[in-house]
Amino acid sequence: METMNAEIFTLTYGSMVRQLLVDTEDVEEVNKQLDKMGYNIGVRLIDEFLAKSKINKCVDFRDSAEKLAKVGFKMFLNTTASVTSWNAEGTECSLILEDNPMTDFVELPEGCSRKLRYCNLLCGVIRGALRMVNLNVSCNFVQDVLWDDPVSELRLKLISTGAENYPFKDDD
Amino acid sequence: MSLARLNIVDRPLPKGKSEVSLSAFAFLFSELVQYCLANVKSTGELESRLESVGVGVGLRLLELLCQRERASKRDIRLLDALKFVSTTLWKYLFGHQARDLEHSTTAPDEYMINDYDLFVNKYISLPKDYASLNCAAFVAGIVRGALDGAGFPSRVTAHFVPVQGQAKPKTVILVKFDASVMKREERLPS
Amino acid sequence: MGVFTIYFFDREGTCLFYHEWSRPKPVKLGAGTPGDDQKMLFGLFFQLKVFAAAMDPKGKPNAQLGAPTRIGESCSFHSFTTDLYKLHFAESPSGLKIVLTTDPTVGDMRESMAYIYSYIYVECVVKNPMYSPGQPFRFETFTTQLNDFIQSLGLLQ
Repeated sequence: METMNAEIFTLTYGSMVRQLLVDTEDVEEVNKQLDKMGYNIGVRLIDEFLAKSKINKCVDFRDSAEKLAKVGFKMFLNTTASVTSWNAEGTECSLILEDNPMTDFVELPEGCSRKLRYCNLLCGVIRGALRMVNLNVSCNFVQDVLWDDPVSELRLKLISTGAENYPFKDDD
Repeated sequence: MSLARLNIVDRPLPKGKSEVSLSAFAFLFSELVQYCLANVKSTGELESRLESVGVGVGLRLLELLCQRERASKRDIRLLDALKFVSTTLWKYLFGHQARDLEHSTTAPDEYMINDYDLFVNKYISLPKDYASLNCAAFVAGIVRGALDGAGFPSRVTAHFVPVQGQAKPKTVILVKFDASVMKREERLPS
Repeated sequence: MGVFTIYFFDREGTCLFYHEWSRPKPVKLGAGTPGDDQKMLFGLFFQLKVFAAAMDPKGKPNAQLGAPTRIGESCSFHSFTTDLYKLHFAESPSGLKIVLTTDPTVGDMRESMAYIYSYIYVECVVKNPMYSPGQPFRFETFTTQLNDFIQSLGLLQ
Protein backbone atom coordinates (compact mmCIF):
# COMPACT_ATOMS: atom_id res chain seq x y z
CA MET A 1 0.00 0.00 0.00
CA GLU A 2 0.99 3.56 -0.63
CA THR A 3 2.48 5.12 2.47
CA MET A 4 3.24 8.55 3.85
CA ASN A 5 5.33 10.06 6.59
CA ALA A 6 3.69 9.03 9.85
CA GLU A 7 4.41 12.39 11.48
CA ILE A 8 2.06 14.26 9.17
CA PHE A 9 -0.68 11.85 10.18
CA THR A 10 0.25 12.22 13.85
CA LEU A 11 0.33 16.00 13.76
CA THR A 12 -2.91 16.21 11.79
CA TYR A 13 -4.61 14.02 14.34
CA GLY A 14 -3.20 16.13 17.16
CA SER A 15 -4.37 19.34 15.56
CA MET A 16 -7.82 17.84 15.08
CA VAL A 17 -8.07 16.83 18.74
CA ARG A 18 -7.05 20.35 19.69
CA GLN A 19 -9.72 21.77 17.40
CA LEU A 20 -12.32 19.54 19.08
CA LEU A 21 -11.21 20.76 22.49
CA VAL A 22 -11.62 24.33 21.29
CA ASP A 23 -15.02 23.61 19.70
CA THR A 24 -16.58 21.69 22.57
CA GLU A 25 -14.67 23.02 25.61
CA ASP A 26 -15.42 19.77 27.38
CA VAL A 27 -13.12 16.77 27.67
CA GLU A 28 -15.91 14.22 28.00
CA GLU A 29 -17.58 15.67 24.91
CA VAL A 30 -14.28 15.35 23.01
CA ASN A 31 -14.03 11.68 24.00
CA LYS A 32 -17.52 11.12 22.61
CA GLN A 33 -16.84 13.06 19.44
CA LEU A 34 -13.60 11.15 18.81
CA ASP A 35 -15.41 7.87 19.29
CA LYS A 36 -18.13 8.98 16.88
CA MET A 37 -15.65 10.14 14.26
CA GLY A 38 -13.78 6.88 14.64
CA TYR A 39 -16.98 4.93 14.18
CA ASN A 40 -17.62 6.74 10.90
CA ILE A 41 -14.08 5.96 9.80
CA GLY A 42 -14.47 2.28 10.75
CA VAL A 43 -17.63 2.00 8.70
CA ARG A 44 -15.68 3.10 5.62
CA LEU A 45 -12.32 1.58 6.35
CA ILE A 46 -13.70 -1.96 6.63
CA ASP A 47 -14.27 -2.00 2.88
CA GLU A 48 -10.67 -1.20 2.10
CA PHE A 49 -9.54 -3.70 4.70
CA LEU A 50 -11.67 -6.46 3.16
CA ALA A 51 -10.72 -5.50 -0.38
CA LYS A 52 -6.97 -5.38 0.26
CA SER A 53 -6.72 -8.33 2.65
CA LYS A 54 -8.94 -10.49 0.42
CA ILE A 55 -10.64 -11.73 3.56
CA ASN A 56 -14.09 -12.83 2.50
CA LYS A 57 -15.66 -13.61 5.81
CA CYS A 58 -15.46 -12.43 9.40
CA VAL A 59 -17.88 -14.46 11.44
CA ASP A 60 -15.89 -15.55 14.44
CA PHE A 61 -15.05 -12.99 17.13
CA ARG A 62 -11.77 -14.59 18.18
CA ASP A 63 -10.57 -14.83 14.62
CA SER A 64 -11.72 -11.28 13.80
CA ALA A 65 -9.90 -9.84 16.81
CA GLU A 66 -6.67 -11.51 15.66
CA LYS A 67 -7.08 -10.21 12.11
CA LEU A 68 -7.84 -6.76 13.40
CA ALA A 69 -4.71 -6.72 15.53
CA LYS A 70 -2.33 -8.36 13.07
CA VAL A 71 -3.62 -7.36 9.64
CA GLY A 72 -5.65 -4.22 10.34
CA PHE A 73 -3.17 -2.30 12.48
CA LYS A 74 -0.39 -3.29 10.12
CA MET A 75 -2.27 -2.21 7.03
CA PHE A 76 -3.23 1.23 8.23
CA LEU A 77 -0.89 2.28 11.03
CA ASN A 78 2.09 0.10 10.13
CA THR A 79 2.23 -1.29 13.64
CA THR A 80 0.74 -4.34 15.29
CA ALA A 81 -1.19 -5.02 18.44
CA SER A 82 -1.21 -8.17 20.48
CA VAL A 83 -4.39 -9.85 21.60
CA THR A 84 -4.29 -10.99 25.22
CA SER A 85 -6.37 -11.64 28.32
CA TRP A 86 -9.26 -13.56 26.81
CA ASN A 87 -12.06 -14.29 29.23
CA ALA A 88 -13.25 -17.89 29.59
CA GLU A 89 -16.27 -17.41 27.34
CA GLY A 90 -14.17 -15.95 24.54
CA THR A 91 -16.24 -12.77 24.45
CA GLU A 92 -13.70 -10.31 25.85
CA CYS A 93 -10.10 -9.60 25.07
CA SER A 94 -7.49 -6.89 25.29
CA LEU A 95 -5.51 -5.30 22.51
CA ILE A 96 -2.10 -4.15 23.65
CA LEU A 97 -0.53 -1.44 21.52
CA GLU A 98 3.22 -1.48 21.87
CA ASP A 99 3.86 1.24 19.40
CA ASN A 100 1.14 3.67 18.45
CA PRO A 101 2.21 6.40 16.01
CA MET A 102 -0.73 8.53 17.12
CA THR A 103 0.89 9.31 20.46
CA ASP A 104 4.27 10.55 19.20
CA PHE A 105 4.99 14.13 20.35
CA VAL A 106 1.98 14.02 22.66
CA GLU A 107 1.87 15.00 26.27
CA LEU A 108 -1.48 15.64 27.84
CA PRO A 109 -1.85 18.90 29.73
CA GLU A 110 -2.24 18.60 33.48
CA GLY A 111 -5.85 18.01 34.31
CA CYS A 112 -6.46 15.95 31.20
CA SER A 113 -4.72 12.80 32.39
CA ARG A 114 -7.18 9.97 33.03
CA LYS A 115 -9.86 12.16 31.51
CA LEU A 116 -8.99 12.79 27.88
CA ARG A 117 -8.88 9.53 25.97
CA TYR A 118 -6.61 10.97 23.33
CA CYS A 119 -6.72 7.98 21.03
CA ASN A 120 -10.43 7.32 21.49
CA LEU A 121 -10.75 7.55 17.72
CA LEU A 122 -9.25 4.06 17.58
CA CYS A 123 -12.02 2.64 19.77
CA GLY A 124 -14.59 4.10 17.41
CA VAL A 125 -12.79 2.74 14.35
CA ILE A 126 -12.77 -0.77 15.82
CA ARG A 127 -16.41 -0.54 16.87
CA GLY A 128 -17.50 0.76 13.45
CA ALA A 129 -15.48 -1.73 11.43
CA LEU A 130 -16.67 -4.73 13.44
CA ARG A 131 -20.25 -3.48 13.38
CA MET A 132 -20.17 -3.74 9.60
CA VAL A 133 -19.32 -7.42 9.80
CA ASN A 134 -22.15 -8.05 12.27
CA LEU A 135 -20.04 -8.06 15.42
CA ASN A 136 -21.39 -5.56 17.93
CA VAL A 137 -18.65 -4.72 20.38
CA SER A 138 -17.77 -2.15 22.96
CA CYS A 139 -14.22 -0.90 23.01
CA ASN A 140 -12.54 1.24 25.65
CA PHE A 141 -9.12 2.35 26.80
CA VAL A 142 -8.24 0.83 30.16
CA GLN A 143 -4.57 1.79 30.10
CA ASP A 144 -2.89 4.55 28.14
CA VAL A 145 0.80 5.41 27.88
CA LEU A 146 -0.32 9.04 27.87
CA TRP A 147 -1.70 8.48 31.36
CA ASP A 148 1.73 7.15 32.37
CA ASP A 149 0.59 3.54 32.17
CA PRO A 150 3.28 1.12 30.96
CA VAL A 151 1.27 0.16 27.85
CA SER A 152 -1.85 1.18 26.00
CA GLU A 153 -4.60 -1.36 26.39
CA LEU A 154 -7.97 -1.46 24.68
CA ARG A 155 -10.62 -3.72 26.16
CA LEU A 156 -12.89 -5.28 23.57
CA LYS A 157 -16.20 -6.83 24.60
CA LEU A 158 -18.52 -8.71 22.29
CA ILE A 159 -22.10 -7.62 22.94
CA SER A 160 -23.92 -9.50 20.22
CA THR A 161 -23.47 -11.05 16.83
CA GLY A 162 -26.39 -10.53 14.56
CA ALA A 163 -27.36 -11.97 11.26
CA GLU A 164 -28.29 -9.44 8.65
CA ASN A 165 -32.03 -8.89 8.77
CA TYR A 166 -34.33 -7.76 6.03
CA PRO A 167 -34.24 -3.97 6.46
CA PHE A 168 -37.77 -3.28 5.24
CA LYS A 169 -41.02 -3.97 7.00
CA ASP A 170 -43.46 -6.07 5.04
CA ASP A 171 -45.75 -4.04 2.80
CA ASP A 172 -44.19 -0.68 3.47
CA MET B 1 12.62 3.32 33.23
CA SER B 2 10.68 3.03 30.03
CA LEU B 3 10.72 5.84 27.52
CA ALA B 4 7.06 6.45 28.07
CA ARG B 5 7.75 7.42 31.68
CA LEU B 6 10.25 10.10 30.73
CA ASN B 7 9.00 13.63 30.42
CA ILE B 8 8.35 14.36 26.78
CA VAL B 9 11.15 16.93 26.51
CA ASP B 10 13.66 14.38 27.83
CA ARG B 11 12.78 11.81 25.22
CA PRO B 12 14.82 11.79 22.05
CA LEU B 13 13.13 13.38 19.06
CA PRO B 14 11.78 10.61 16.82
CA LYS B 15 13.84 10.19 13.66
CA GLY B 16 10.82 10.72 11.48
CA LYS B 17 11.38 7.67 9.34
CA SER B 18 8.23 5.77 10.22
CA GLU B 19 5.39 5.54 7.79
CA VAL B 20 1.66 4.95 7.89
CA SER B 21 -0.56 4.06 4.98
CA LEU B 22 -1.81 6.94 2.90
CA SER B 23 -5.26 5.43 3.40
CA ALA B 24 -5.07 5.99 7.15
CA PHE B 25 -4.52 9.66 6.44
CA ALA B 26 -7.23 9.70 3.76
CA PHE B 27 -9.77 8.28 6.22
CA LEU B 28 -8.77 10.68 8.97
CA PHE B 29 -8.87 13.61 6.59
CA SER B 30 -12.26 12.52 5.22
CA GLU B 31 -13.71 12.46 8.67
CA LEU B 32 -12.19 15.85 9.42
CA VAL B 33 -13.90 17.21 6.30
CA GLN B 34 -17.19 15.56 7.31
CA TYR B 35 -16.90 16.98 10.84
CA CYS B 36 -16.25 20.46 9.49
CA LEU B 37 -19.07 20.11 6.94
CA ALA B 38 -21.62 19.45 9.66
CA ASN B 39 -21.01 22.85 11.19
CA VAL B 40 -20.72 25.17 8.22
CA LYS B 41 -22.98 26.90 5.74
CA SER B 42 -20.64 27.61 2.85
CA THR B 43 -17.59 26.33 1.02
CA GLY B 44 -15.64 29.32 2.33
CA GLU B 45 -16.44 28.48 5.93
CA LEU B 46 -15.48 24.85 5.39
CA GLU B 47 -12.15 25.90 3.92
CA SER B 48 -11.41 28.21 6.80
CA ARG B 49 -12.05 25.42 9.31
CA LEU B 50 -9.74 23.08 7.42
CA GLU B 51 -7.21 25.86 7.32
CA SER B 52 -7.30 26.36 11.06
CA VAL B 53 -6.54 22.67 11.65
CA GLY B 54 -3.69 23.01 9.15
CA VAL B 55 -2.23 25.94 11.07
CA GLY B 56 -1.72 23.72 14.11
CA VAL B 57 0.19 21.26 11.96
CA GLY B 58 2.29 23.97 10.28
CA LEU B 59 3.43 25.56 13.52
CA ARG B 60 4.66 22.22 14.83
CA LEU B 61 6.23 21.15 11.55
CA LEU B 62 8.28 24.34 11.49
CA GLU B 63 9.72 23.54 14.89
CA LEU B 64 10.27 19.90 14.06
CA LEU B 65 12.02 20.55 10.76
CA CYS B 66 14.12 23.37 12.17
CA GLN B 67 15.31 21.10 14.95
CA ARG B 68 15.95 18.15 12.75
CA GLU B 69 17.28 19.54 9.54
CA ARG B 70 18.60 22.98 10.14
CA ALA B 71 20.15 23.00 13.59
CA SER B 72 17.61 25.59 14.67
CA LYS B 73 18.61 28.27 12.21
CA ARG B 74 15.81 30.76 11.68
CA ASP B 75 15.13 32.68 8.50
CA ILE B 76 14.78 36.40 8.87
CA ARG B 77 14.31 37.30 5.22
CA LEU B 78 10.97 36.88 3.54
CA LEU B 79 12.30 35.09 0.47
CA ASP B 80 14.32 32.63 2.57
CA ALA B 81 11.26 31.77 4.64
CA LEU B 82 9.21 31.19 1.50
CA LYS B 83 11.93 29.04 -0.02
CA PHE B 84 12.04 26.99 3.15
CA VAL B 85 8.31 26.37 2.74
CA SER B 86 8.42 25.52 -0.96
CA THR B 87 11.47 23.25 -0.72
CA THR B 88 12.18 21.74 2.72
CA LEU B 89 8.64 21.74 4.05
CA TRP B 90 7.17 20.70 0.70
CA LYS B 91 9.59 17.82 0.33
CA TYR B 92 8.72 16.64 3.78
CA LEU B 93 4.99 16.83 3.11
CA PHE B 94 4.75 15.66 -0.46
CA GLY B 95 8.05 13.97 -1.26
CA HIS B 96 9.01 16.62 -3.81
CA GLN B 97 9.66 20.35 -3.99
CA ALA B 98 6.83 22.62 -5.07
CA ARG B 99 6.65 22.99 -8.85
CA ASP B 100 7.47 26.66 -8.60
CA LEU B 101 7.41 29.72 -6.44
CA GLU B 102 6.15 32.85 -8.14
CA HIS B 103 6.09 36.53 -7.16
CA SER B 104 2.91 38.36 -8.15
CA THR B 105 3.51 40.94 -10.84
CA THR B 106 0.70 43.15 -9.58
CA ALA B 107 0.88 42.91 -5.79
CA PRO B 108 4.36 43.04 -4.23
CA ASP B 109 3.14 41.39 -1.03
CA GLU B 110 1.75 38.32 -2.81
CA TYR B 111 3.55 35.09 -3.64
CA MET B 112 2.28 31.90 -5.19
CA ILE B 113 3.40 28.35 -4.56
CA ASN B 114 2.26 26.19 -7.48
CA ASP B 115 1.91 22.45 -7.55
CA TYR B 116 -0.15 19.54 -8.84
CA ASP B 117 -1.70 16.47 -7.23
CA LEU B 118 -1.45 17.29 -3.55
CA PHE B 119 -2.45 14.21 -1.56
CA VAL B 120 -5.29 16.02 0.18
CA ASN B 121 -7.05 16.17 -3.17
CA LYS B 122 -6.10 12.67 -4.24
CA TYR B 123 -9.38 10.92 -3.51
CA ILE B 124 -11.77 13.81 -3.73
CA SER B 125 -14.48 14.11 -6.30
CA LEU B 126 -16.79 17.03 -5.71
CA PRO B 127 -20.55 17.05 -5.75
CA LYS B 128 -22.19 20.07 -7.41
CA ASP B 129 -22.98 21.86 -4.15
CA TYR B 130 -19.28 22.07 -3.34
CA ALA B 131 -17.87 22.36 -6.84
CA SER B 132 -15.36 25.05 -5.86
CA LEU B 133 -14.07 23.39 -2.69
CA ASN B 134 -10.33 22.97 -2.54
CA CYS B 135 -9.14 20.75 0.31
CA ALA B 136 -5.69 22.24 -0.17
CA ALA B 137 -7.08 24.85 2.25
CA PHE B 138 -5.60 22.46 4.79
CA VAL B 139 -2.19 22.82 3.12
CA ALA B 140 -2.70 26.60 3.04
CA GLY B 141 -3.18 26.34 6.81
CA ILE B 142 0.08 24.41 7.19
CA VAL B 143 1.89 27.09 5.18
CA ARG B 144 0.34 29.87 7.24
CA GLY B 145 1.26 28.09 10.46
CA ALA B 146 4.86 27.59 9.37
CA LEU B 147 5.25 31.21 8.20
CA ASP B 148 3.51 32.55 11.28
CA GLY B 149 5.75 30.53 13.55
CA ALA B 150 8.79 31.98 11.78
CA GLY B 151 7.56 35.54 12.32
CA PHE B 152 5.96 36.14 8.94
CA PRO B 153 2.23 36.55 9.56
CA SER B 154 0.24 36.25 6.37
CA ARG B 155 -3.07 35.34 4.83
CA VAL B 156 -2.85 32.10 2.86
CA THR B 157 -5.48 30.70 0.52
CA ALA B 158 -5.69 27.76 -1.87
CA HIS B 159 -7.07 27.93 -5.39
CA PHE B 160 -7.53 25.67 -8.38
CA VAL B 161 -6.26 27.27 -11.58
CA PRO B 162 -6.93 25.55 -14.91
CA VAL B 163 -3.86 25.10 -17.09
CA GLN B 164 -4.07 25.04 -20.86
CA GLY B 165 -3.43 21.61 -22.28
CA GLN B 166 -3.68 19.90 -18.88
CA ALA B 167 -6.63 17.80 -17.75
CA LYS B 168 -6.07 18.61 -14.09
CA PRO B 169 -5.96 22.14 -12.73
CA LYS B 170 -2.94 23.21 -10.73
CA THR B 171 -3.26 24.16 -7.09
CA VAL B 172 -2.03 27.60 -6.22
CA ILE B 173 -1.23 28.42 -2.62
CA LEU B 174 -1.46 32.20 -2.48
CA VAL B 175 0.50 33.88 0.28
CA LYS B 176 -0.30 37.51 1.08
CA PHE B 177 2.06 38.87 3.70
CA ASP B 178 0.95 41.12 6.49
CA ALA B 179 1.77 44.82 6.04
CA SER B 180 4.09 44.65 9.06
CA VAL B 181 6.18 41.98 7.32
CA MET B 182 6.50 44.09 4.18
CA LYS B 183 7.55 47.15 6.19
CA ARG B 184 10.18 45.19 8.11
CA GLU B 185 11.46 43.67 4.89
CA GLU B 186 11.88 47.16 3.35
CA ARG B 187 14.06 48.26 6.24
CA LEU B 188 16.43 45.32 5.81
CA PRO B 189 19.34 45.81 3.39
CA SER B 190 18.68 44.17 0.02
CA MET C 1 -25.23 -4.56 -26.16
CA GLY C 2 -24.20 -6.44 -23.07
CA VAL C 3 -24.99 -4.51 -19.93
CA PHE C 4 -28.24 -2.99 -18.71
CA THR C 5 -28.05 -1.64 -15.18
CA ILE C 6 -26.02 -1.57 -11.98
CA TYR C 7 -27.17 -1.05 -8.38
CA PHE C 8 -25.18 -0.59 -5.17
CA PHE C 9 -27.00 -1.23 -1.89
CA ASP C 10 -25.74 -0.90 1.65
CA ARG C 11 -26.70 -3.28 4.43
CA GLU C 12 -29.65 -1.09 5.43
CA GLY C 13 -31.22 -1.52 2.01
CA THR C 14 -30.41 1.99 0.83
CA CYS C 15 -29.66 2.17 -2.85
CA LEU C 16 -26.40 4.14 -2.83
CA PHE C 17 -25.94 4.26 -6.56
CA TYR C 18 -27.90 3.32 -9.65
CA HIS C 19 -26.91 3.62 -13.25
CA GLU C 20 -28.53 2.39 -16.42
CA TRP C 21 -26.61 1.95 -19.62
CA SER C 22 -29.61 0.58 -21.40
CA ARG C 23 -33.09 -0.16 -20.15
CA PRO C 24 -35.51 -0.84 -23.00
CA LYS C 25 -38.39 -1.09 -20.54
CA PRO C 26 -38.07 2.02 -18.39
CA VAL C 27 -38.70 1.94 -14.63
CA LYS C 28 -42.01 3.75 -14.98
CA LEU C 29 -43.40 0.88 -17.04
CA GLY C 30 -42.09 -1.62 -14.49
CA ALA C 31 -42.07 -1.00 -10.76
CA GLY C 32 -43.23 2.58 -11.33
CA THR C 33 -40.81 4.69 -9.30
CA PRO C 34 -37.07 4.27 -8.84
CA GLY C 35 -37.68 3.76 -5.12
CA ASP C 36 -40.04 0.85 -5.74
CA ASP C 37 -37.77 -0.58 -8.40
CA GLN C 38 -34.85 -0.62 -5.97
CA LYS C 39 -36.87 -2.08 -3.13
CA MET C 40 -38.26 -4.86 -5.32
CA LEU C 41 -34.81 -5.75 -6.51
CA PHE C 42 -33.50 -5.76 -2.95
CA GLY C 43 -36.35 -8.06 -1.91
CA LEU C 44 -35.66 -10.33 -4.86
CA PHE C 45 -32.02 -11.02 -4.10
CA PHE C 46 -32.47 -10.99 -0.33
CA GLN C 47 -35.12 -13.69 -0.42
CA LEU C 48 -33.31 -15.63 -3.11
CA LYS C 49 -30.25 -15.69 -0.90
CA VAL C 50 -32.25 -16.89 2.08
CA PHE C 51 -33.94 -19.67 0.13
CA ALA C 52 -30.79 -20.68 -1.69
CA ALA C 53 -29.13 -21.17 1.69
CA ALA C 54 -32.11 -23.01 3.14
CA MET C 55 -32.13 -25.50 0.27
CA ASP C 56 -28.41 -26.13 0.48
CA PRO C 57 -28.02 -29.91 0.47
CA LYS C 58 -24.49 -29.71 1.94
CA GLY C 59 -24.65 -27.02 4.63
CA LYS C 60 -25.21 -27.07 8.36
CA PRO C 61 -28.06 -29.24 9.61
CA ASN C 62 -31.07 -27.75 11.36
CA ALA C 63 -30.80 -24.39 9.65
CA GLN C 64 -34.20 -22.85 10.02
CA LEU C 65 -35.94 -22.36 6.72
CA GLY C 66 -35.98 -18.71 5.82
CA ALA C 67 -33.71 -17.57 8.64
CA PRO C 68 -31.31 -14.85 7.51
CA THR C 69 -27.72 -15.98 7.28
CA ARG C 70 -24.54 -14.10 7.86
CA ILE C 71 -22.43 -13.15 4.91
CA GLY C 72 -19.68 -15.66 4.30
CA GLU C 73 -21.24 -18.12 6.71
CA SER C 74 -23.42 -19.98 4.32
CA CYS C 75 -23.79 -20.43 0.59
CA SER C 76 -24.91 -17.53 -1.56
CA PHE C 77 -25.93 -17.32 -5.18
CA HIS C 78 -23.86 -15.23 -7.55
CA SER C 79 -26.09 -15.03 -10.59
CA PHE C 80 -29.29 -16.23 -12.14
CA THR C 81 -30.23 -16.31 -15.77
CA THR C 82 -33.58 -15.87 -17.42
CA ASP C 83 -34.25 -16.10 -21.13
CA LEU C 84 -34.05 -12.30 -21.42
CA TYR C 85 -31.47 -11.16 -18.92
CA LYS C 86 -28.92 -12.30 -16.38
CA LEU C 87 -28.58 -10.88 -12.88
CA HIS C 88 -25.15 -10.91 -11.25
CA PHE C 89 -24.92 -10.50 -7.50
CA ALA C 90 -21.92 -9.83 -5.28
CA GLU C 91 -21.75 -9.02 -1.60
CA SER C 92 -18.91 -8.04 0.71
CA PRO C 93 -18.68 -9.18 4.34
CA SER C 94 -19.40 -5.55 5.25
CA GLY C 95 -22.80 -5.88 3.62
CA LEU C 96 -22.26 -3.89 0.43
CA LYS C 97 -24.26 -5.47 -2.37
CA ILE C 98 -23.67 -4.96 -6.06
CA VAL C 99 -26.19 -6.05 -8.66
CA LEU C 100 -25.43 -5.98 -12.35
CA THR C 101 -27.93 -6.92 -15.04
CA THR C 102 -26.69 -7.99 -18.45
CA ASP C 103 -27.62 -10.00 -21.50
CA PRO C 104 -28.10 -13.67 -20.64
CA THR C 105 -25.08 -14.58 -22.77
CA VAL C 106 -22.60 -12.69 -20.56
CA GLY C 107 -20.25 -15.01 -18.66
CA ASP C 108 -19.07 -15.14 -15.06
CA MET C 109 -18.73 -11.58 -13.69
CA ARG C 110 -17.51 -12.44 -10.19
CA GLU C 111 -13.97 -11.25 -10.75
CA SER C 112 -15.09 -8.10 -12.49
CA MET C 113 -17.44 -7.26 -9.65
CA ALA C 114 -14.68 -7.87 -7.13
CA TYR C 115 -12.58 -5.41 -9.13
CA ILE C 116 -15.38 -2.83 -9.09
CA TYR C 117 -15.60 -3.20 -5.32
CA SER C 118 -11.89 -3.23 -4.52
CA TYR C 119 -10.58 -0.68 -6.95
CA ILE C 120 -13.40 1.58 -8.01
CA TYR C 121 -15.78 1.70 -5.04
CA VAL C 122 -13.05 1.70 -2.37
CA GLU C 123 -10.82 4.22 -4.12
CA CYS C 124 -13.42 6.64 -5.48
CA VAL C 125 -16.19 6.45 -2.90
CA VAL C 126 -14.97 5.09 0.42
CA LYS C 127 -11.90 7.33 0.51
CA ASN C 128 -13.61 10.39 -0.91
CA PRO C 129 -13.93 13.02 1.83
CA MET C 130 -17.25 14.15 0.38
CA TYR C 131 -18.89 10.75 0.82
CA SER C 132 -21.12 10.29 3.87
CA PRO C 133 -21.69 6.60 4.62
CA GLY C 134 -25.27 5.46 4.11
CA GLN C 135 -26.09 8.32 1.75
CA PRO C 136 -26.57 7.86 -2.00
CA PHE C 137 -23.54 9.17 -3.86
CA ARG C 138 -22.81 10.48 -7.31
CA PHE C 139 -19.18 11.30 -7.95
CA GLU C 140 -17.77 12.03 -11.35
CA THR C 141 -14.56 10.02 -10.89
CA PHE C 142 -16.54 7.00 -9.78
CA THR C 143 -18.98 7.16 -12.68
CA THR C 144 -16.19 7.69 -15.19
CA GLN C 145 -14.05 4.83 -13.89
CA LEU C 146 -17.02 2.47 -13.70
CA ASN C 147 -17.99 3.33 -17.23
CA ASP C 148 -14.43 2.91 -18.51
CA PHE C 149 -14.16 -0.45 -16.81
CA ILE C 150 -17.45 -1.76 -18.23
CA GLN C 151 -16.31 -0.50 -21.62
CA SER C 152 -12.97 -2.31 -21.25
CA LEU C 153 -14.89 -5.56 -20.72
CA GLY C 154 -16.49 -5.07 -24.11
CA LEU C 155 -19.96 -4.78 -22.64
CA LEU C 156 -20.73 -1.41 -24.19
CA GLN C 157 -21.12 -0.65 -27.83
